Amino acid sequence: MIDGLVQILIWQGMGELISKFFIPDIPGPVIGLLLLLSFLVIKGEVNQPLGMVADTFRQHLGLLFVPASVGVVLFLPDLKTHGLAVTLALLVSVVLTIAVTALVLKFFWKATHDE
Amino acid sequence: MTNDRLPISEIWVYLSGDPLFALVLTLATYQLGYMIYVKVNRHPVFSPVAISVLLVTCIISFMDMPYQKYFEGAQFVHFLLGTATVALAVPIYRGFNDLKGKLFPITLALTIGSAVSIFVGVMIAKSMGAGSTIVGSMYAKSVTAPIAMGIAERIHVSPTLTAVFTVITGMLGSILAPYIFNALNIQHWWMRGTAIGVGAHGLGITRAFSINDEAGTYASMAMGLNGVLSAVLLPFIIGYIRA
Repeated sequence: MIDGLVQILIWQGMGELISKFFIPDIPGPVIGLLLLLSFLVIKGEVNQPLGMVADTFRQHLGLLFVPASVGVVLFLPDLKTHGLAVTLALLVSVVLTIAVTALVLKFFWKATHDE
Repeated sequence: MTNDRLPISEIWVYLSGDPLFALVLTLATYQLGYMIYVKVNRHPVFSPVAISVLLVTCIISFMDMPYQKYFEGAQFVHFLLGTATVALAVPIYRGFNDLKGKLFPITLALTIGSAVSIFVGVMIAKSMGAGSTIVGSMYAKSVTAPIAMGIAERIHVSPTLTAVFTVITGMLGSILAPYIFNALNIQHWWMRGTAIGVGAHGLGITRAFSINDEAGTYASMAMGLNGVLSAVLLPFIIGYIRA
């Protein structure tokens, strides 16, 4: 468990350093992700402690953005005024996003595969 | 020995001033939310995040605890967002193993899907008169929250509103996705998984895994790839739009 966490923290640390000194436009953790991904591709396997920690994070990813989301209290007046705009924007955009992504895949697959 | 026992009100004052309180509150409400979520067979309406946020918001408002005070304690959880982002490399890598020539269509589909998400969200919010804080937070809302918040900081919009919109998007997407797929006659699990990973990120993945393993793997990979692409491209695209 700790073994896996240490591996991830090291990649995160390297990502943060590269972000700070070389590519400030990209968040450090994203660079860390890319470094770890390259490492896995070269290595050809996910070691067990790393896989375990990654699965735990994936399963409870939601917990980690509770503290930030509670900050919604600071925006309540603004959100109330524009409630309808926000609801419509989120609803229409998520439906179209899922529909368009699925349709692109479907058409591409049909064009290249005859099933 | 008379001063040994503090009156209950003083214990309360002591505890609520401590970071431990916010930490326990965050974890306990999430745990409760997760128990409810499992009990209702993981129906996305009962997202543990939404339950936890709702409860914490009510409790701190009731206690007159300012958000800053709450965050002092909760930041220990918040800090792990970056670590969780790095860990996304694992599901992306696992998805790669199963690709067999699908990487190009998936990348193409998620780029178009992601562009639609931003364009539609921003346009509707703008045309209906929402302020720049709200409109700005529409940019990254279809990206998984830890990356979305990193992007929000980079493009100088509110990470908080971005996180909230992300959670709502995840709920809406997970609830509506099966109907959308049936209406459009999408049958392959990998297509369904990819689309739900792009549109409904974290919660969508949980939903996908509970229905089909292949869909779950593709959803995780699509979410990760979408996050990476958005993180790399969004700052430039937005710089271009605003210039």
